[in-house]
Amino acid sequence: MSGFEIAGWGISVPDQVLTSTELGDRLGVGEDWIVSRCGINERRIVEDGQTTASLAIEAGRRALDKAGLTGADIAHLIVATATPEQLSPATSAFVHTALGIAGSAHDVNSECSGFVYSLVTAAGLMMMDPRPILIVGSDTHSLTVNPEDRDLSILVGDGAGAVVLTPSPDTWIRAWNLGADGSKHDSLKVVAGGSRMPTTAETVAQGLHYAKINGNEIYLNAVRFTVRTVKQTLEQAKVTVDDVDHIIPHQANIRIINSILSHTGLDPAKLVTNLDRYGNTASASIPIALAEALDGGRINNGDLVLLAGFGAGMTWGSVLLEWGGVST
Amino acid sequence: MSAELPTVEELATQLQAVSGADEVDVDAALLQLSDVDSLDLMEWLYGFQNQYPHIPADESLFKDIDDSTTLRTVHQRLLDLVPAAG
Repeated sequence: MSGFEIAGWGISVPDQVLTSTELGDRLGVGEDWIVSRCGINERRIVEDGQTTASLAIEAGRRALDKAGLTGADIAHLIVATATPEQLSPATSAFVHTALGIAGSAHDVNSECSGFVYSLVTAAGLMMMDPRPILIVGSDTHSLTVNPEDRDLSILVGDGAGAVVLTPSPDTWIRAWNLGADGSKHDSLKVVAGGSRMPTTAETVAQGLHYAKINGNEIYLNAVRFTVRTVKQTLEQAKVTVDDVDHIIPHQANIRIINSILSHTGLDPAKLVTNLDRYGNTASASIPIALAEALDGGRINNGDLVLLAGFGAGMTWGSVLLEWGGVST
Repeated sequence: MSAELPTVEELATQLQAVSGADEVDVDAALLQLSDVDSLDLMEWLYGFQNQYPHIPADESLFKDIDDSTTLRTVHQRLLDLVPAAG
């Protein structure tokens, strides 16, 4: 049985910036409306040749470099994504070969909860097989939304974030919680392109390959389930909101984040957010924010770091990390 | 049971609090309230659901919202839900 430490991290975001001013001009709304609606000033958008896998590979390579490892050292690769490289095989296959990963590879699609789900999955794997694991969250939702869909276009950005876990006798996870409610699968969806509705000329003509959101349902359930998972994780860890040093939520929408803070009692001063610069990067949003906080020297040994996400499905999850770990 | 429900004026005060609007006219079209958007309505609804868990109010309260839908309309819809809650 083994714990883990986070030995490396890295991010990759496209160079191309789409500001809310530019987007507002395209959609016929003002920049102020977009910013007040979601708190996003600009987002990064892939250019020709950039894909979910290419971003994942770059972030993964940077995380490996930071950890002083190579792909040959990695026993398991997990790629969290809801915008796969292609329907088959898994995106992890492309990352696996590009990084020369020695071990297994699989994808996790828990939508925007994907990184939290992957971290908990990796912690379980590490207990059974104490060897390095690479987790990458990568999404390119700008390619899945209808450019004319105001509700989604203002939110999404592209990017990838990665962490390397290495075995350690210390425990970094103080508590965790995962959950799902499949009855909410209609809130955010792409209906065409799978076995239920294979792609045809007709589905494309109807735009059914684009993501569709019921923003009201997502807001209500995102707040409800994230508040619940945060409370359960803190209770399991036997700590209070005041004990948490850093809050890294899924960077979905500042209105949702502020509501979660308000209803849990978490201190807004402890919030780590880059939503204004990157938008909602889905599975990548938590690892990107975590990596930036680490590079900024914001997180120190002994700090309690709360990761909390929610995603379509719906799924949700939270993990409380004690940075540096505690001896067990 | 209806006595447990807030009045329409109390609903307006609640909506003012979550939206930061200076004033919420209970007879004005919700879509025309300049400082209130759909996410404010959802934030208000989340608080309402927590405060009145026995009333099955959900986002369908605003499903067919149009220029004739006011806060008074929503209040009536809430009143209609109370008998169903038993």
